[in-house]
Amino acid sequence: MTVRVEPENNETRALFDLADFSGRHVLEIGCGDGRLTWRYAGRAAHVTAIDPFAEGIARARTSLPEELRGRVEFHHVAFEDFAAASHPAACDIAILSWSLC
Amino acid sequence: MVHALEEIHRLLRPDGYLIDIHPVLGAPSIEVRRGAELLFAEAGPDYWVEDYRQADHALAQITQRHLFVVERSGEFDFLTYGSSVSELRDFLTEASAYESRPKEEAPVGWDADLTARVEAALQAAGEGAEVVYHERARIARLKPVR
Repeated sequence: MTVRVEPENNETRALFDLADFSGRHVLEIGCGDGRLTWRYAGRAAHVTAIDPFAEGIARARTSLPEELRGRVEFHHVAFEDFAAASHPAACDIAILSWSLC
Repeated sequence: MVHALEEIHRLLRPDGYLIDIHPVLGAPSIEVRRGAELLFAEAGPDYWVEDYRQADHALAQITQRHLFVVERSGEFDFLTYGSSVSELRDFLTEASAYESRPKEEAPVGWDADLTARVEAALQAAGEGAEVVYHERARIARLKPVR
């Protein structure tokens, strides 16, 4: 048996209660292996998901569902470096996902 | 982290917002459950408690400075299930490891006594029982103030 993470989907329900992803450009900071990303990305226009942890990003890229290709991009980068290279007003929703950037 | 929140403020469009999700401090418990039945519960290790305390402090600072305003917030239960103590402990240790911080520095906090108590409870519970790391998390929507 494998570990089961949040099978109740409480987090997803709470997220959808607070955020409307329709047509939105999302920046997820601390995406890890994409556990949360998969749950909302199908509703968003585009997701940029970043994490400084290389293993997590590698797992996220490997498990990227086919239907989300072109809509979700993962970057192995620290937030401060990502922000320094980004234009202002670039996203509609930023998610700090259990993150300590 | 305050600087990171200032950068998020810069990256957000005026009508955008920040969603912050992080654990409620001091809340995690280790449980043994069979389905919906709670058979054992004890305070569990709190991963990165000091980091999340600082995150709380940073969020308080940026709202006091009127950089963001909290529009809505809530809490939810976040449960991670394993079939054995070692399986769950290894998973949580791995999940809490950061590239910038060697794994051996992880404040795991599963002492031998706690492990023994949970294993005994799991064994006594019999087939179908699982060990659970039960966290309480806070979610908030913060609107940037211009």
